[in-house]
Amino acid sequence: MIKKLFLIIKNNLLLTLLVGVLIGLLSSWVLYEGLHRTSDDRFCIVCHEMKPMVAAYHNDVHGGNGKTGIKVTCVTCHLPHDNVFAYIATKARNGVVEGAIHFFGNADAIDWQANRANRAHFVEDKACAQCHTNYKTNEAISEKGHKMHEHYASLKGTDKEINCASCHAEVGHKGLRSMLNYYKPEYEYYKGKLDKKKDEAEKKLAEEMK
Amino acid sequence: MSKETMSRRDALKMGALGTVGMAMLSASNAMAAAPTEKDVKFDEEYDVIVIGTGFAGLAAAAKAAERGYKVLILEKMGRVGGNSVINGGGMAVPNSSWQKKYGIQDSGELFIADCLKAGLGINHVELLETIVKRAQDALDFSIKCGAKWQDVKPAWFGGHSAPRSLVTDNMSGSGVIKPMHEFVEKLPGCKIMTRTKMDDFVMSSDGTSVVGVTARINYRFDPKLLSDDMENKTGEKKVYKAKKGVVLASGGFSMDKIYRKLQDPRLVEDMDATNHDGATAGALLKAFQIGAFPVHIDWIQQGPWASPDERGFGVAPLLTQQGLFKLGVAVDVRNGKRFMNEMADRKTRADAEYVILREAPKAYPVAIGTYNTFEEQVYPIMEKGLSGGVMKKFDTLDALAANYKIPADALKETIKKYNEDAKNGTEDQFKKQSLKDVKGKEAIEMKGPFYAIRLVPKPHHTMGGLQINTKAQVISANTNKPIPGLYAAGEVTGGTHGASRLGTVAVTDCLTFGMIAGENI
Amino acid sequence: MRSKKTLLAVGFFLLFSVMSLVGSEANTPPTPEVKITPELKEKFPMKPHHEKLAFKCTDCHEGQGDDPENFKAIDDKGCLSCHKTKQFLADRLKFMDALHTNPHNSIHDGTKLYCDECHFEHKKSDNMCLSCHSNDVKLWMRPTP
Repeated sequence: MIKKLFLIIKNNLLLTLLVGVLIGLLSSWVLYEGLHRTSDDRFCIVCHEMKPMVAAYHNDVHGGNGKTGIKVTCVTCHLPHDNVFAYIATKARNGVVEGAIHFFGNADAIDWQANRANRAHFVEDKACAQCHTNYKTNEAISEKGHKMHEHYASLKGTDKEINCASCHAEVGHKGLRSMLNYYKPEYEYYKGKLDKKKDEAEKKLAEEMK
Repeated sequence: MSKETMSRRDALKMGALGTVGMAMLSASNAMAAAPTEKDVKFDEEYDVIVIGTGFAGLAAAAKAAERGYKVLILEKMGRVGGNSVINGGGMAVPNSSWQKKYGIQDSGELFIADCLKAGLGINHVELLETIVKRAQDALDFSIKCGAKWQDVKPAWFGGHSAPRSLVTDNMSGSGVIKPMHEFVEKLPGCKIMTRTKMDDFVMSSDGTSVVGVTARINYRFDPKLLSDDMENKTGEKKVYKAKKGVVLASGGFSMDKIYRKLQDPRLVEDMDATNHDGATAGALLKAFQIGAFPVHIDWIQQGPWASPDERGFGVAPLLTQQGLFKLGVAVDVRNGKRFMNEMADRKTRADAEYVILREAPKAYPVAIGTYNTFEEQVYPIMEKGLSGGVMKKFDTLDALAANYKIPADALKETIKKYNEDAKNGTEDQFKKQSLKDVKGKEAIEMKGPFYAIRLVPKPHHTMGGLQINTKAQVISANTNKPIPGLYAAGEVTGGTHGASRLGTVAVTDCLTFGMIAGENI
Repeated sequence: MRSKKTLLAVGFFLLFSVMSLVGSEANTPPTPEVKITPELKEKFPMKPHHEKLAFKCTDCHEGQGDDPENFKAIDDKGCLSCHKTKQFLADRLKFMDALHTNPHNSIHDGTKLYCDECHFEHKKSDNMCLSCHSNDVKLWMRPTP
């Protein structure tokens, strides 16, 4: 059997090559599309529990609400980019775990406000440094800002290490706390009284996601 | 004797002079006389200095600055506005452009008559006449500074014979203070210094005129002190010159635990008021010390509709005035009996409550009613009263009686008699007018549930203060003429309201005379 | 080397470069060191959210020397050197604006209060709203950080 196959290939080397390249290109394209289409806000918002996060992201500079309109996708900050394998592995694992919670668990019972305390886990410093390479030298940063960046640098590698997100708490999702409150108020007093705000946010989101 | 060391004679002279100097200094401190310009060195010079950033203070400052003067405003608290930012933002204006727009008939005479009735006839009528003449100008001036008033028919407040009270768009005095504050800050030469306490006046060398003030910057008010004016020593001393004069707009003294008790010993030190913590008599007393006439000092308006179960004004006044008092009853917890006409004027009711509290300081009377006793507009606030704990709800009168330790049988008897009187149209023992509306029905529905609020009188407004003329000039008790360089406006003055102030007239008084002070200085 | 002149010019250039490099380093004054003892930590405890960031005394008390007994409160300017602006802080609690319960944007004072009317670093913080809204504050917001 194998000998027969080997002969066919040997005799039609060019054809095999062409077919091989075609299969390679096709699978690359499929993989690319697959990864690409599961990387931005349009995909993440398929799960409704992500709505407040996406809404807040749209109000943020990183979501396109800045002077230049530059927009970074969700995965740029929330997945590792040091190498392709780490990226795909983390993506796949997250997909399975989060998918399971969404379909078989109770996504609406998640305490998102409490999760914000883990923000450094969700956004690694490497993700910020990818773009913000000049955070040590940028003259637009205040004197106090520079001092704090030096403080951050001095703690790197120690047991008191802090992260970008330790201070820059709502970066990427401006007004996240308020947006989460519109969906699920933190304090009893506001229950049922912020629905109008929630409706406004959903309407705006629908517009933006058209 | 050598040149380096002092001669013995000289040393003795120095010692003697020093001792005399020290004695004089301590004597002058004990006498607390205002320093003269010879004794001080001015740190900064201004044309006008205003004390206080409430309605009166900001109106005076805005008007003076508009005229091109360099104005310094001193505010002892960290926040701007004092009582003026925590009230309901209502301003009564007789014959206003609003009334004209909404077809309301009113007259200055009617306004003055209303104020005189509430004031028991002892108001200083010339001040009321000034308000009638200038209130519209003050209203327009506030609008010029950025205040926004609701474009609706003026509200009809108690004691007025016509609807004449405008309300700010955010239903708070801050609707006037915030824009006025920004207006003043933007004017060149104007400076507002918060956490800066005026300590005393600086008088001219001959002691007759006010030429400046001494003050302390970085002052930190301490609400825990019994008398912040006397005990608080924080801050660094400064002296400011006022070339044209000083406007005193330091407000009332409902929270001055020492001074208010002198006027009314029933106001014990731990009693709450509806005012902010900074409403003290310090600046008022300094003005008396330089010779200003006191007027109506012991007329302190107390609200009988307040509750000891919340700080300040709270929600109780709305729930009682527009609810429990109207058709419900107020009972003495010791015997379950009524003790007053729940809808009489403020003073009558406060005095009745005091009769009980003087005998038993913690036996706060209780106002009782049922759902039907509340007016419709108060329904949303009922929830607030219940969730905050000021108002309590009970299924039965027995449960209510048990909670407040009222003899249950006596209470039930009281309410039975009350309902009978109402149903039959007979006048009750306290001659309550509003009972007439319930003829044929149950005043307090016996099916319940029953709502209750504990009551305590709270000082609300000090009608008395400095005597001023119609130009807002403070009059001297030594000469019966204006003290040159001293003006006053607002609650720190006396006479306008007589024995008892009508609601929403305070804002008018403050803005009008504040503006007049700024015009005349 | 073309000539002695070139050599001289290059030499001077090198010298000046070195001088400017050395000079720029010497311009920043050294931050005073404060020895943080357990007694100091007990006397001046830091809030948890600042403790997490491993701050030192001199990170806030800039230019006040090295003796904590002489340190003064840093005032609004100090707080806002990190916490941006009062408007920014009001926006962080935007969800409270809907019901007018935002302590950083109240109906009475807007965004114009001093930070230390309520917030203290080395002792329990206060809540100015409580001076009147004694019953409501616990329903509207959490204890002041």
